[in-house]
Amino acid sequence: MNLRKFLLVRSGQIVVTFWIILTLLFVLFRLAPSDPLSVVADSLMSEEEIQILKAQFGLDEPLHRQYLLYLWNFIRGEFGTSFHYRQPVVEILGDRLPKTALLFTTATVLYALAGISMGKILAWYRGSLLDSGMSFLGLLTHTFFLPWLALLLIWVFGYKLGWFPLSGMISPEIWLDPESSLLAKFMDVLHHMALPMGVLFLTHFGGYMLVMRTTMLETLREDYILTARAKGLPEKVIRNRHAAPNASLPVVTSLGLSLAFSINGGALTETIFSWPGLGRELVASVAHGDYPLAQAAFLFIAAFVLVANLVVDVIYAYLDPRIRY
Amino acid sequence: MNVLEVKDLTVQYLTSRGRVHAVERISWELRQAEALGIVGESGCGKTTVAMAIMGLLPSNAEVVEGKILLEGRDLLLLDPEEMRTIRWKKIAMVFQAAMNALNPVHRVGDQILEAMIAHDGELSEKEVQRRLEELCAMVGLDPRRMKDYPHQFSGGMRQRAVIAMALACRPTMLIADEPTTALDVMVADQILGQLRRLQVEMGLAILYISHDISVIARSCDRMGVMYAGQLVELGETDDILDHPLHPYTRGLMKSYPKLRGPKTKLEPIPGEPPNLMDPPPGCRFCPRCPDKGASCPTERPPWIQAMEGHWVLCHKGEV
Amino acid sequence: MASSRDRGKEKPLGGGAHFLRHLGENWAIYRKNRMGMGGLGLLVLFGLMALASFVPPLLDPMYHPMNGMDPEIDTSTGPSARHLLGTDFMGRDILSQLLTGARVALLIGVSAAFMAVAIGTMVGMVAGYFGGIVDTLLMRLADIVMVLPGLLVILILSSVAGQLSIWNLVLIIALLKWAGVSRIIRSQTLSLKVRPYVEAARVAGASHTRIMFRHMLPNVLPLSFLYMTFGVTSAILIEASLSFLGFGDPSTVSWGMMLQWVWKTGHMFKAPYWLLPPGICISLITLAFYLIGRAMDEVLNPRLRKEVLEQ
Repeated sequence: MNLRKFLLVRSGQIVVTFWIILTLLFVLFRLAPSDPLSVVADSLMSEEEIQILKAQFGLDEPLHRQYLLYLWNFIRGEFGTSFHYRQPVVEILGDRLPKTALLFTTATVLYALAGISMGKILAWYRGSLLDSGMSFLGLLTHTFFLPWLALLLIWVFGYKLGWFPLSGMISPEIWLDPESSLLAKFMDVLHHMALPMGVLFLTHFGGYMLVMRTTMLETLREDYILTARAKGLPEKVIRNRHAAPNASLPVVTSLGLSLAFSINGGALTETIFSWPGLGRELVASVAHGDYPLAQAAFLFIAAFVLVANLVVDVIYAYLDPRIRY
Repeated sequence: MNVLEVKDLTVQYLTSRGRVHAVERISWELRQAEALGIVGESGCGKTTVAMAIMGLLPSNAEVVEGKILLEGRDLLLLDPEEMRTIRWKKIAMVFQAAMNALNPVHRVGDQILEAMIAHDGELSEKEVQRRLEELCAMVGLDPRRMKDYPHQFSGGMRQRAVIAMALACRPTMLIADEPTTALDVMVADQILGQLRRLQVEMGLAILYISHDISVIARSCDRMGVMYAGQLVELGETDDILDHPLHPYTRGLMKSYPKLRGPKTKLEPIPGEPPNLMDPPPGCRFCPRCPDKGASCPTERPPWIQAMEGHWVLCHKGEV
Repeated sequence: MASSRDRGKEKPLGGGAHFLRHLGENWAIYRKNRMGMGGLGLLVLFGLMALASFVPPLLDPMYHPMNGMDPEIDTSTGPSARHLLGTDFMGRDILSQLLTGARVALLIGVSAAFMAVAIGTMVGMVAGYFGGIVDTLLMRLADIVMVLPGLLVILILSSVAGQLSIWNLVLIIALLKWAGVSRIIRSQTLSLKVRPYVEAARVAGASHTRIMFRHMLPNVLPLSFLYMTFGVTSAILIEASLSFLGFGDPSTVSWGMMLQWVWKTGHMFKAPYWLLPPGICISLITLAFYLIGRAMDEVLNPRLRKEVLEQ
């Protein structure tokens, strides 16, 4: 079946792309700084540690061998030690990855589905008050500057109304208490997730809603919609079974295209809310000059983006039989 | 018994630039198990008539006057919900092959069944499958292909599928809008043959709409000629082809090559159709007519039965 | 010369020469689009703000956005007669900063977008025109560039390169944003390549550069221009985000920088007169370009215009 072949080809492409990114990063970090050693070791390390790191990253070797060592280290998961945390980088990032995945994926699924459903309805009731109102709202929230919206939400809902915590992912009191139930811990995370998700939701759902609305309107002009009407099918069936599945296709494509943009938003959100994810770690590590961590965080995020792209492609292939057969 | 009767149908479109007089006082009837063809160039209003019958006119269309009687019932008086139940069950439409009439994301078989189930939810799984196979046999499709998607079908197969879909609810009549445009000649011939067989075997009444007079000539017992929103001639196909009365019909015949008979020069009709936003008060064909009379430009021509069963819209209609 | 033969044939987008010739007509269509006019109005407002930014320091050195020192105020205060929007944590005038922010935003936005589109148009045309391996290579490169989150790439770059100046930033943004445009231009080039006048020119022996620049470029320009409006917003947002995170050029005052100061100096909760204006400005300028882009899309793409009700 074509789907398998399709997956194989795409996966291959992703590996190649990632390898190129790896290489570019290597070039950047080895060739750009005046002293490549500073990328791997900082002044607080002992002479011993420095020698070990030098060997591990092959800094005394010729460039091409350094490169091969670099790739080998990557495959082994050896990213060095974070200057800031004094811990192996891979451990730190391993801890951060699921947290980013939790926030980002949940938010994306929510705003994509909400946007698509709303867009579908707006197109159907084109010209109505609902349509004008929601379209306007969607446009407005779409243009909000994300960090600013985040600050506003924190101010209003966190500070003034006190409904939500201002930052972080968990409340230490609840999680450190041995008697807290799983449910309490779960609710606590949700409670902390509310504002960051709110920010992500508001800034992204408008875009999906408007795109879906446009594609629905275009789809409604297609001949097979006329056929469906001629068949005497009820309006709801025409909208949901005939128009929406076709209209969703370009929206899924645009989901894929805007992944880079949403990742940016994710990093900003994590930083503002001190959500312990990859994005925040990247920003912090750059600010601290923690090269090993910064480099690896970037790679992790790049991998995340590429995998997300693949997932979107698979979803598209699943929805559009013209790709599969 | 007439399956469908159209009386004095007048349809206009409201646009931002004015009113388009698309269809004006059309009257004809479709008899049981008969094939009636409407021929005319693009823009003459024939598709508007089909849409009016199906109740699928766009929102800016206005039926100013007229009746469309399906087995005695005026379709124009029905509310949308009633109309919906009639669609496909009584009158089904076969769309052009060039159109994207089939939804690309659903399997062909499902789309054919959909209409069946929408109008008769009581059918069992088995019954539905049986009917599907029956339909495939009727149109010459392999039932095993029903699980495929439209893009996997060739043009001819798609057209057959569209016909099968139209027959799904065993309608009383079929409207075939340009059934062979965009198909190659061999396939087109097969399709028309198929439709003819169905007409005879199932006692189906078919309304053919085409700009191609050869399609009408091949398939229809009776035919009507439309020009600029008006029906200018109506009668038995052979009769009209042998004795075209209206100057437009005569012009049409002269512009079509004939395979047999003496080779004559092809002559196009000079001039252009009138602007339907501001049609002339008299005969709409008058400016291009080689035979104009004194009253032609100003007075609407009468609809007269010039010969037995042969009607024409012309001042000079009396032969 | 080229376009006249094309008129009447199916063309999804008006060609360049065609576009200029019918500028009056196109403007009339644009004018009818109320949202587009709104966007244009906002843009004019920001333009005026940018120009006005030079005025306050001339009135009195204490109004300088970066270095202004009010002898009487050295903390954040609310709006007053002296400082129409109040002062920041160092006693500097907020309005003056806001005006300068407009200047910086437009400068960065337009420069980066222009460069990105220039690069993207060139790449797209070359890829589409030559096809084959050149096309494949360029488009694979474009794919890789497109998949990377721009903000994060810039962060990594600045970790190695140190503090980025405004112009470095503009260059880097351009190098990250050309990819999207190039794909579109490539498609357009592909469809133009098979037009009769291009074939005719090729047969007549015109060189590749001549065909590309004389015949194709004018037809591709309106599309480029359209994408420039999208690119401006992108660039402004990247700079704002970067400055917000603290990686912006410290020698310039931008709206993002202002937000960073509010946030980092803990005035978020107590100084709405400081928190609100820069955020509103960024959002409004984004809105402005979005509306302008949409309106221009309508002008260039007749399909999108409010439908004349038709049969």
